[in-house]
Amino acid sequence: MAAEVIPASVRASPRRRLPVESIQAWLFLLPAVIVLGVFQIFPAIAAFYMSLFKWDVVQGAFRGFGNYTDWLYDNSIRSPDFWRALSTTFTYVIVTVPLEIALALVLAYLLFQKMRGRGIYRTVYYLPYVTSFVAAAAVFFWVFHPQYGLVNDVIGIFGIGPQKWLDEPRGLFELAASGFGVTLPEWLAGPSLALVVISLVTVWHYLGYQIVIFLAGLSNISQEFYEAARLDGANERQIFTKITLPLLSPTTFFVFTVASIGVLRSFDSVYVLTNGFGGPLDTTRTVTLLVFKTAFQQAQFGLGAALAFILTTIILLFTLIQFRVLGRRVHYD
Amino acid sequence: MTEAIPIERGLPRVTMRPRIGSIVKHIVLIVVALIVAYPFYFMVTSSFKDTLEAIRTPPTIFPNELHPENYTDAWSRAPWGRYFINTIFVSIAVTILEVITACLAAYAFARMKFRGKGILFTVFLATLMIPGEATLIPKYVLMSPSRVACAGLPCLGWFDTYQVQIVPFIASAFSIFLMRQFFLSIPNELADAARMDGAGHLRFLWSIVLPLSVPALITVGLITFLGSWNAFQWPLIVTSKPDFRPVQVGLSQFRQEAGASYHLLMAASTFVVAPIVLLFLVAQRYLVQGIARTGIRG
Amino acid sequence: MRMKAAILAAVMLVSAACSGAPPAAQQSTEADITLSGPVAITLWHALTGPQQIALDAMVKKFNDTNGKGVTVTALNQGTYTQLYQKTLGAIQAGALPELAHAYESFVADYMKADVVVDLGSYKDSKTNGLTKESQDDIYKGYYDTNTFPQYGNRLLSWPFTKSLAVMYVNNDILKELGKPIPKTWDEFEATALAATKKDASGKVTRMGFAFNTDASYFNAQVYARGGTLMAADNKTVAWNGKEGLAVLQMYDRMNKNGSGYSPKSFDFQSDLATGKLAFFFSSTSTVPFMKDLADKASFSWSIANLPQAATDPAKAKTVQFGANVAVFKSTPDKQLASWMFIKWMSETDQSAQFASTSYYMPVRATAANSQTLKDYWAKVPQGKQGFDLIQYSSPEPNIRGQQDIRDVIFNMITEVITAKSTPDAAMATATTKANQIVKDAQ
Repeated sequence: MAAEVIPASVRASPRRRLPVESIQAWLFLLPAVIVLGVFQIFPAIAAFYMSLFKWDVVQGAFRGFGNYTDWLYDNSIRSPDFWRALSTTFTYVIVTVPLEIALALVLAYLLFQKMRGRGIYRTVYYLPYVTSFVAAAAVFFWVFHPQYGLVNDVIGIFGIGPQKWLDEPRGLFELAASGFGVTLPEWLAGPSLALVVISLVTVWHYLGYQIVIFLAGLSNISQEFYEAARLDGANERQIFTKITLPLLSPTTFFVFTVASIGVLRSFDSVYVLTNGFGGPLDTTRTVTLLVFKTAFQQAQFGLGAALAFILTTIILLFTLIQFRVLGRRVHYD
Repeated sequence: MTEAIPIERGLPRVTMRPRIGSIVKHIVLIVVALIVAYPFYFMVTSSFKDTLEAIRTPPTIFPNELHPENYTDAWSRAPWGRYFINTIFVSIAVTILEVITACLAAYAFARMKFRGKGILFTVFLATLMIPGEATLIPKYVLMSPSRVACAGLPCLGWFDTYQVQIVPFIASAFSIFLMRQFFLSIPNELADAARMDGAGHLRFLWSIVLPLSVPALITVGLITFLGSWNAFQWPLIVTSKPDFRPVQVGLSQFRQEAGASYHLLMAASTFVVAPIVLLFLVAQRYLVQGIARTGIRG
Repeated sequence: MRMKAAILAAVMLVSAACSGAPPAAQQSTEADITLSGPVAITLWHALTGPQQIALDAMVKKFNDTNGKGVTVTALNQGTYTQLYQKTLGAIQAGALPELAHAYESFVADYMKADVVVDLGSYKDSKTNGLTKESQDDIYKGYYDTNTFPQYGNRLLSWPFTKSLAVMYVNNDILKELGKPIPKTWDEFEATALAATKKDASGKVTRMGFAFNTDASYFNAQVYARGGTLMAADNKTVAWNGKEGLAVLQMYDRMNKNGSGYSPKSFDFQSDLATGKLAFFFSSTSTVPFMKDLADKASFSWSIANLPQAATDPAKAKTVQFGANVAVFKSTPDKQLASWMFIKWMSETDQSAQFASTSYYMPVRATAANSQTLKDYWAKVPQGKQGFDLIQYSSPEPNIRGQQDIRDVIFNMITEVITAKSTPDAAMATATTKANQIVKDAQ
């Protein structure tokens, strides 16, 4: 495929003013185009082809967009599964991303100032990012263990009873309210405690990476702004809210976009922490896990591929909306 | 464009702040550091405990008795040496090749004019949005030996090889994007000067751009190396024999095998995680500088 | 234009790549042939640790002694789930091994692609099969589970790593309480409650029973309470009767009075070993792990059948577990070589030897006479305790969709033990879902 594309474009270029540069550019791009074409784009096209068929272990009848409509509204089992997984996925984003950004921003700001031990802090914060979820999961099983977990000991100090964490399907608000003897309606239950734990582990994993990006963003803010502000007698809080935050907004926006896409397509974190089930009671089954279950536990490759493309479309739309709505408000210096 | 100040220097401390502020700051940083580091502490200490102590509740803070033999025991239960050689070879090969393809492609996107640039860049970025689970089966089929599936068509037949773990990963849209951002930040005057001297693109890239881009190269290299070191699902399905399997697959198998021998699992986890942690300790200075000038200019 | 052509070519390539399946085998004569020369075959399996070592030893012995030039290579492919996923991929890629370790539900899925060899003709072959006497020596339940009603009652897999659901007991706790191993469900519940201890603050420090949310243990309890799992026509589930409901109600009571708890992964093993738990239900393949713990922390444990509803011991029941092995269609020589290997593995001596090294159950009754097993049982009496229960074990359904139904049961139990639903409500929801799955999978 890649080989087909290149000569076509090259042939089209002689009328342009820079044919030599165009050819040279395509030569530079050739290795990447071949590899991405063969191992990313071609499989994606093939997966799209599969998504148009009933593909129950083996290829079956052509269904057009039947697999897509099954997920969206047409099938009494698939469609509720999909909407539930989508809502879980966005809940996961909503719980994870703001927390991740806020923590990373504050810590980066603190670390950016001259202080003793800065390198050590930064190194410690970065450790989780280099650790695979597979290795981390084994440890978190113990940290959030319902009987023996350290976290239960810690909250015990504050008089909160032991929780089941990754095994708890009940919602966060539901649990909090029941602590005061209040019963909340289903729609107010909030994300399951299990999903909250997965979010916390996700924040733990990416925190160091986002801190580094914020540190980089901070270093790109010119000193002159700070000096001017200080001459005007601004205090540290004013400097942070009036100078740092606005000037950092391109970085914040970048982190927000990358982190959201990351969580929307994340798979490993939920998979390893729930042993692949998306439990308890499917409260952590994100769309990617549903894709995996459909394709690799039910052997419905057509439906699985269709769902994956629905998710891709949603991610694209989500990113576009982010650029439209938030991108405009970003302050570029 | 504002000139980046070296991160290591940082913001001069606001001198009027009372000491109290600094103490609070350190307390916050230390508490977060303890929370972040606790799982690692738990992993390493558990790896030195005996069977029963490793599962004692509440966990002992420090092993009652050090059992370094857990490491030799865990090591002897699987062909770890082979796994490490495989992972190191694959990770290094992927990293070197990927950095090369990323530099070339990123340079073309950042510094050259050609037809189809916009579309190609969009297509590249789009590959970042497709979840990997969708393309797993077609990718797997592509690697199959030409027995039945690939009748009449060229088929790779790459199961149980190194290349099956290397070649699909030697180009990444994300790395290209990062390198492109970095190359964009190199002043145009340098390119003009090079052109005056009669230097072509390749020479400009090689002798001017790359030497300026060492932090970015290291950043992209480290992120790639990390991804390769932690790769699990793909190597698991495309290899059947231990001869070609990487450490993460070994660790996952060891996890089932160790069962109740939690101390051994922790020992194995420690020696799988340790090399990459050490690598990052050495290289993290560059990482910060590299990222500082790549993807964050909006 | 060019781009379109390229996409078209790509699509055609995939369709060609994915539609191919190995040519259908001619069953009638293939089973009776003799090997035309040396054959190399591959077995994918999910065994690790001591069990992998045990299998490798058997394979080596077979390769050294079969005298027909058959060479087996046994390769671990991760967990059962990973093995299944990989096999599905291999079906698409036309790159199947000759043999694969498989649960019944896996085989039912593989058969959608018609890639599994019917072993019936091999078993009955005059030249390569088993004598009538030898066939009858293998437990009937093992034939039942590998015979697939959805696929014309063909024998599509062969018993390989078998085990059964049993109750593990901490004898020390029972001794302290002065109680025997419970035989009925009422006794069980009462003993579990008596074993439960709370400290001054109300925190449970010793538990009676570890809930197991895995569907197989629910199924085992339905059997033990005298129920069945599927209606006779295989069109609806039958575990939703009074027996199934009784299981959920017991879980609900035990959850509320604190005598039952939900363990994390395999904690229940160390909990029982450290005197924090009186009972759990698990497979007999847990024996080596318990033995390992018992060697380190000295405590007394044993294996017994699940409590029963039937007072007649001959009617006692539990679930038969464990994976089988399927042969994939390839060449007549390779298929025969595969059969020769699995036949050899199930002969008396080998079955006994593998059982004593892998801790799985022997596949035939006469294996019990072998000295190897007697020696092993002298060391691990729990192995014999498990063996004596094989006669009571029945398989779980092997229809397509069973894997999904297992998830439904898993969720049903979770709803009850997390107090999300009442037993009746959870059962009603689960029944609707499960019957829909059965219908869709037809």
